[in-house]
Amino acid sequence: MPKFTLNDQPIEANDGQTIIQAAQDAGIDIPHYCYHPDLPIDGNCRMCLVEVEKMPKLTPSCTTMATEGMVVRSSSERVKEAVRGVLEFLLINHPVDCPVCDQAGECRLQDYYMVYGLHTSEIPLEMKVRKRKAIDLGPMVVLDQERCVLCSRCIRFFEHVTDTGEMQFFGRGDHVAIGTFEDKPLDNPYSGNVVDICPVGALTSRDFRFKCRVWFLHSTDSVCAGCSTGCSVRIDHRDGTIFRLLPRRNVEVNQSWLCDEGRLSFHELQTGERVVRPMIKGRDGIQAPVTWEDAVRSIDSRLKEIREANGAGSILGFGSPSATNEALYLFKRYLGGELGATHFDFRVDSEDTNVAEEEDQVLRHFDKHPNSMGAMKLGLMSAELCGIEGAIKAAREGRIKAGVVIYFNPLVRRRRDEEAEGRVLELIDQLEYSVVLATHRAEWHQSASVVLPVAAWSEEEGTYTNFQGRVQLAGRAIESGGDALPVWEVFAMLLHAAGAESPWMASDDVFSTMTETEAAYRGLTIEQTRLPGAVVVE
Amino acid sequence: MTKILLANADKPGQNTIAKYRERGGYKALEKALGMESSAVIDEVKASGLRGRGGAGFPTGMKWSFVPRNTGKPTYLLCNADESEPGTFKDRFLLEREPHLLIEGMAIAAYALGCHLSYIYMRGEFGFLEQPMEAALEEAYKAGILGASVLGRDFALDIHLHMGAGAYICGEETSLIESLEGYRGYPRIKPPFPATHGFLASPTVVNNVETLAALPWIITNGAQAHAAIGTEKSKGTKLFSVSGHVSKPGVYEVDLGYPLLDFINNEAGGIPNGRALKAVIPGGSSVPVLRAEECQGVLLDYESLLKAGSMLGSGGMIVLDDTAKMPEVLSVIADFYAHESCGQCTPCREGTGWASKVLRNLVAGEGTKADVDRLLKIADMMEGKTICPLADADVMPIRSFVTKFRSEFEALAAS
Repeated sequence: MPKFTLNDQPIEANDGQTIIQAAQDAGIDIPHYCYHPDLPIDGNCRMCLVEVEKMPKLTPSCTTMATEGMVVRSSSERVKEAVRGVLEFLLINHPVDCPVCDQAGECRLQDYYMVYGLHTSEIPLEMKVRKRKAIDLGPMVVLDQERCVLCSRCIRFFEHVTDTGEMQFFGRGDHVAIGTFEDKPLDNPYSGNVVDICPVGALTSRDFRFKCRVWFLHSTDSVCAGCSTGCSVRIDHRDGTIFRLLPRRNVEVNQSWLCDEGRLSFHELQTGERVVRPMIKGRDGIQAPVTWEDAVRSIDSRLKEIREANGAGSILGFGSPSATNEALYLFKRYLGGELGATHFDFRVDSEDTNVAEEEDQVLRHFDKHPNSMGAMKLGLMSAELCGIEGAIKAAREGRIKAGVVIYFNPLVRRRRDEEAEGRVLELIDQLEYSVVLATHRAEWHQSASVVLPVAAWSEEEGTYTNFQGRVQLAGRAIESGGDALPVWEVFAMLLHAAGAESPWMASDDVFSTMTETEAAYRGLTIEQTRLPGAVVVE
Repeated sequence: MTKILLANADKPGQNTIAKYRERGGYKALEKALGMESSAVIDEVKASGLRGRGGAGFPTGMKWSFVPRNTGKPTYLLCNADESEPGTFKDRFLLEREPHLLIEGMAIAAYALGCHLSYIYMRGEFGFLEQPMEAALEEAYKAGILGASVLGRDFALDIHLHMGAGAYICGEETSLIESLEGYRGYPRIKPPFPATHGFLASPTVVNNVETLAALPWIITNGAQAHAAIGTEKSKGTKLFSVSGHVSKPGVYEVDLGYPLLDFINNEAGGIPNGRALKAVIPGGSSVPVLRAEECQGVLLDYESLLKAGSMLGSGGMIVLDDTAKMPEVLSVIADFYAHESCGQCTPCREGTGWASKVLRNLVAGEGTKADVDRLLKIADMMEGKTICPLADADVMPIRSFVTKFRSEFEALAAS
């Protein structure tokens, strides 16, 4: 653990850390382009040069190991001049694209120029090196070779993270340009990451291109709901519309990365019509809108009737592995705790318990739900039913009469999803009385006795438990439309209608109660569910 | 003066193994194989031989940095990527004394415990590929190379690898990258090639001229070599002289020989009755000397350094009073811009920018501010790059502009 000083401030580094890493850990940012904590070191941008006592030349802080007693300066005149020089060099051939470049507002050339540069350009426009612009690199990425500062982050990403090597330097000297071989489009499920790591607007997102200036966006910390990996993300939104998802760095889960499907998963939310009102099917077989109060009262009394007539075992709680822990907890508390139901499950297809099966070597899992582990830890997995097939059978045979079903459309689609929805429809058809909580309208909703509009991912705050057993908090970024409510609120209202205590005002209140009563989550605090999340024991 | 390297180079048809052996070729290798390898290293150390590629690092000391018993093979790479403008001495040796090089490499390989060696030859020397392959084949046939060198318990393979036309691949880590099949980008150091070079193994990269000097040193002994030259610059040096001289060519002189004597005697002096204006003594990467500054300067590492320049590769360019210095500098600056690999910011952008500013100036479209701008670009590049190519551009820019400033200012558009 070498101790050194940076601008007279003492810092203790970990063994093997470079100066820039130790400085970052201590909260000091040394300006840089090519360095990235999750990529191998390259040392080519020369922006992170620092002065080290006893070294005759300035040295890059990303390639220099911190050693005991080292005296480092990053803000001396000599360093400032060098950094200003590197910046000036980077800007001489850089096109003046700011007005049309997506990166504006989060661009390291702009940011560092304001702090270290503020010089006047000494090169006439005609002298600038011209390169190719707006090159189509496939569905996710657009390349502008002129804007590139040749930091090689994208090259190193494809080389070392996905092991595929699609991008490389071409040419020599100030005509070097990055690109793919013969402009071949990027066919890589992680291609979107190079847009994140590109410090300038050379690689931009086709999905986000020209849609919104970044300074208009608000950010909400969340967790991707695409699969059981549970990558930490940031939802960027404005006025109720999500514009993009970015990964948040979580060394325990996804480092700095996010898969393309997850990145685009928010578009699923904007596809199709939403369920906007609670609907109850009348004697005429037609579903009519009602108020929440009426809906909740009707549901509670009807379920109690069925319980009287057929026993508590005739009620099924079919949760969703995409619902939050708080939602599933109150779901269980109402149906199980209050009504005494004993049949619970959540598995719509066979992948649902392969929580930990990896789809590739980088991030993705086959289970396209964020909270299968959460559902399991809350005990919602019936050994008797073994998933929806068993539930359908039990319903067909009349052992189960009523069911409350939470169904979320998967945000990352697979071919088997249609079959899965078909099975949900079958279940609803077999049930005498069914309550469906859903976000998006589907044909099969018409078979349900009651349809309740609920919040989708990004509209409901709550925790998910990923494949590692790690609990992470997903924030609420936007409002649902219509009368849709967060799932946890629906069950809080049902508990209230049933005459049980229902004191929770916000989802973290539910979380607190859950940690008190559920063995799996005992002792956990809500703070622990922020980055990087906390792993709960079996 | 002693001829260590060029004793037979002027005679025609000397490059066959038969002719080479006739005049005692491969006897030095025989002798070395009879010594302990550590003794060979000591001999080279004591000889005072310094790297002839341009850096002038003591060869024996470089060899002793290589760790033994790492479990990894040691590699010897011959740097035949001669690309420094003004330098054509290695080409001369490669063409006329390939066996001198092969024998030198074999001696070095034996000293280092290396069994696999490569000659990395500049891509533009395509016309030398076949002759060098032929020389290597002769050596294999004669049992000089292969499983049992000269019948001894020492195996050595030497392969020829052609470069693809990049000056930067003369930088040792860039050479290694290229040999490994990657783009010729210099590596971050540390680690150094001595411990992590070719294929992450201990590696020594030596220049052609350096290796070619070894047979003489082994035959005649370290003391004999150290007796030639000056206190710190031992032995002889090849100079390839070009420019405004009557007899351009490659010459071998003892280190410490006076610069002006060399120009006037060996190189035949300035023709057409013109006067000397400037000399670039060691390749375009070293600072230029004005004619007055050449008084009393000796051709060795120390004297040239004291005079404000460097011995470098020994690629001497002589300029008479018809030379327009800004034009000369523009040609030089174009070279560095063309050859910059592009890996790091200051060199990539700076060499390109300087080249453009100079072109403008020479075309009469520059301004007075451009003259200081050139110096500013030089300062911005210096000492901040991964390899010294940027510094190699800085030296000529700074020395030309400072020493011949009036010529540059005169070009500025009024």
